[in-house]
Amino acid sequence: MRQQPANQISRKGLTVWRLYGIIQTLILMAVAIGIGFLVYYFEWPIWIGIVAAVVVMLYAFFSIYLFPKIRWERWRYEVREAEIELQHGLFIVNRTLIPMVRVQHVDTAEGPILRKYGLASITISTAATNHSIPALVTEEADELRNRISTFARVAKDDV
Amino acid sequence: MNCAIGFPRLQGWRKMMSEQRYKLHWITAVVETVKTLKDMIAPFVILVVANGFKGESTQPWFVQYWSLILFGILLVSTLVAGIVKWRRFDYWFEDQELRMVSGLFVRKKRYIPFDRIQSLDYTEGIFHRPFNLVKVKVETAGSASGKDAEAELTAITKDAAEQIEQEIQRAKRVQITGPIPRRYENEELLLHGDREITQETERSVRAVFSMTTGDLLMLATTSGGIGVILSGAVVFLSQIEEIIPFDWLFGELESFVRFGVFVIGILILLGFILVWLLSVAMTFLANYDFKVKLEKDDLVITRGLLEKKRVTVPLNRVQNVSIVENPFRQLFGYASVVLSSAGGVGEGARIKLFPLAKRDRIIEPLQELFPNLDFGEPTEVLDARGKRFYYRFKLFLTLVLVAAASYFLFPYGLLSLLLLPFVWGLGLWQYKTAAYSILPKQLTMRFRSISRHTVFMEKNRIQSMEVDQNYFHRRRKVATVTVNVKSGMTVDAPAVRHMPQEQAEQFLLWYEYPTESKE
Repeated sequence: MRQQPANQISRKGLTVWRLYGIIQTLILMAVAIGIGFLVYYFEWPIWIGIVAAVVVMLYAFFSIYLFPKIRWERWRYEVREAEIELQHGLFIVNRTLIPMVRVQHVDTAEGPILRKYGLASITISTAATNHSIPALVTEEADELRNRISTFARVAKDDV
Repeated sequence: MNCAIGFPRLQGWRKMMSEQRYKLHWITAVVETVKTLKDMIAPFVILVVANGFKGESTQPWFVQYWSLILFGILLVSTLVAGIVKWRRFDYWFEDQELRMVSGLFVRKKRYIPFDRIQSLDYTEGIFHRPFNLVKVKVETAGSASGKDAEAELTAITKDAAEQIEQEIQRAKRVQITGPIPRRYENEELLLHGDREITQETERSVRAVFSMTTGDLLMLATTSGGIGVILSGAVVFLSQIEEIIPFDWLFGELESFVRFGVFVIGILILLGFILVWLLSVAMTFLANYDFKVKLEKDDLVITRGLLEKKRVTVPLNRVQNVSIVENPFRQLFGYASVVLSSAGGVGEGARIKLFPLAKRDRIIEPLQELFPNLDFGEPTEVLDARGKRFYYRFKLFLTLVLVAAASYFLFPYGLLSLLLLPFVWGLGLWQYKTAAYSILPKQLTMRFRSISRHTVFMEKNRIQSMEVDQNYFHRRRKVATVTVNVKSGMTVDAPAVRHMPQEQAEQFLLWYEYPTESKE
């Protein structure tokens, strides 16, 4: 049995994902309330309103509580001298191995919510694929980016 | 960077050359117009047919025939646009670059450094043929800038195309002599190096593959494979109707319905045959006189009867080689070979090297072209642990379909039950096909969707590797391995599915260690 990659992403990442879940739920809730009004005014069957309410509640449970939790617990990464290894996934656990020699460039990005929590995401690009590590502490992300780009330059290219 | 600084004489020589600007052939205007019209004609034909010939004479003529007038305006304006495109396009050679400028009001400039140019691809369409012209597509090394990296010269003479090629050759030669001074130690030799190397790079052209007429016919007739299968299925279904005594099952009223079904069945069958014939004809025309030649380190592929195409693939840009056998062709021992190339976008990325050839005769030329690859069949097969995953989910989906079909289309819907053994068989077949080989510097993967794919790739062409496990996989300790290889602007991702986890981890372990340590 192969070992999991060593590092987890920042605990604050979980908070941010929960925040995303809350925002999405609020939007869905607005729609559901709209439907509720329609049911009330046009005297549609009551079960439509009930279904809408249940959908919102289920969505809240999954997107705010369960999915961020699983995702966060599963997210692992490790940057070694010769390769980067990632592990993530909700239903399907994906493990990715990217050799340093294949890394073409590394980007960091921070959206408004991520920045508020002092987080950044990092994207590793090879000639064919992009891989990202979400929600790292900004300093850590910058350091990681520098490390990857140094390693990538040291490694001998043989394409 | 710019080696021209080091060679003042060469620069002076190039200055003289750079003054000349070239235009495209006037047929460009026609080609561009036709191209634009082809995209826009369908909606306008519908419009004209729907509105153009209404006989209500109460309205003034310009209202009555507005769609025809609109069509006329469109025709004229596209023609004008085509002419403008031709008149306002210039290209020339300057500073180690192929430069182009185009556009009426906004002058768009495109400079392509010669050393970024991978290859020139030629197409001779029906408009080009009478004037001995070619369309030239400039393939650049796949860069992040995407589509803009490419350029097209719609119609130039073959001599002009040859000139561009020579210009690139010359530029590349200068660059070779520049940064590698140890080969040309005294300056005398360097300055006359041009002549020296011309002899050295005397083009060695070698034929690698040419398709026989028999193979071409085989290719054309089996190309619409799905069409063949579908029309076969229709024939089968119409037969089965005669075998099973439906008359006995249903009353008089039903026979009328059955007649309708029969007529529709025949019409569909005819439709399939027509589509199939069309696809046969098109495949025949497109692949007529298919030839592959090796020119130094470039593969040159030429094909076509009405529209001749010539594509160049530098060998060192090839990322992987796949042998593809669809079931029908596999039956007759035929296969096709497809390459993924790092250069080019879209169409340029997946290149048919051999559209169709006898399976036992493709290995030898492939081995000659790619001496680093081992074209042996993969040896490691999967153990039975993952077997169920190949058919279980498919069967489940089919069952849902069957249930729906049986319920909503009651008597005939039950025929969908016949799908189940097919789906199950396909799953088992996929399981039997799946295999791989991990060699020190190469990976070979074999898998089946419906066609059988055998993919050969060198370790250093693999950009990244992924192992996926869903919930059921984890319970059975099974995993899917996907390998990402660059193919043009996108990615080619062959995968061996549902293999035992230990085997999947072997892939990661192999990929982890740098190639050098194994030498």
